[in-house]
Amino acid sequence: MTKIELVLTNAAGLHARPAAQFVQKASAYTSKVTLAAGTKTADAKSILAIMGLGLGQGSKIELTADGPDEAACLDGLKALVESNFGEG
Amino acid sequence: MVGIVVVSHSAKIAEGICELAGQMAAPGQKIIAAGGMSGGGIGTDAFKIQAAIEEANAGDGVLVLVDLGSAVMSAELAIDMLGDELKDRVAIADAPIVEGAIAAVVDASIGQPLVSVAATAAGARELRKK
Repeated sequence: MTKIELVLTNAAGLHARPAAQFVQKASAYTSKVTLAAGTKTADAKSILAIMGLGLGQGSKIELTADGPDEAACLDGLKALVESNFGEG
Repeated sequence: MVGIVVVSHSAKIAEGICELAGQMAAPGQKIIAAGGMSGGGIGTDAFKIQAAIEEANAGDGVLVLVDLGSAVMSAELAIDMLGDELKDRVAIADAPIVEGAIAAVVDASIGQPLVSVAATAAGARELRKK
């Protein structure tokens, strides 16, 4: 099991399009991925769970991956978040 | 990938939802609008919906999102008119049309099967505004 902490710096946070990109990226790996923010946790492969968190800009998130490709999975998600989801 | 069809009484609503949901889609994801009557008026048209379902099917089935009232009946009629082979792989989502379409597109784009895409769309009802 591997864990990383990230801060959402993109303007929209994990809403709509970024949430969709996040879920699609997480789903590309076989590891189980969980996102924790404050007291809430969500399955990172579930669009409803991620959108339901309603995380905005500046939110701190902790990602936990568990599985054969956990390191690559977290690297991929970290790169996506740090690229600000391709927002300008 | 499961194809998505958006049925609204208004062609503009259906097209707008497809445009929005398309922002969340993986390349190759089919999202087809079937809004309004064939003459351009407000209403739903079973033949138009049937054609949209056939266009949306890429082999993994199709989930149909509908707005109100007779949209459900028209979609049911459209499914009845499909060939036997496709008929069994089409479902109508019991879901809010905008949130459901977006959630369904994301789930379909990651390769989930029809039953799962339909469940995700229905679950979009729980997304609160506040």
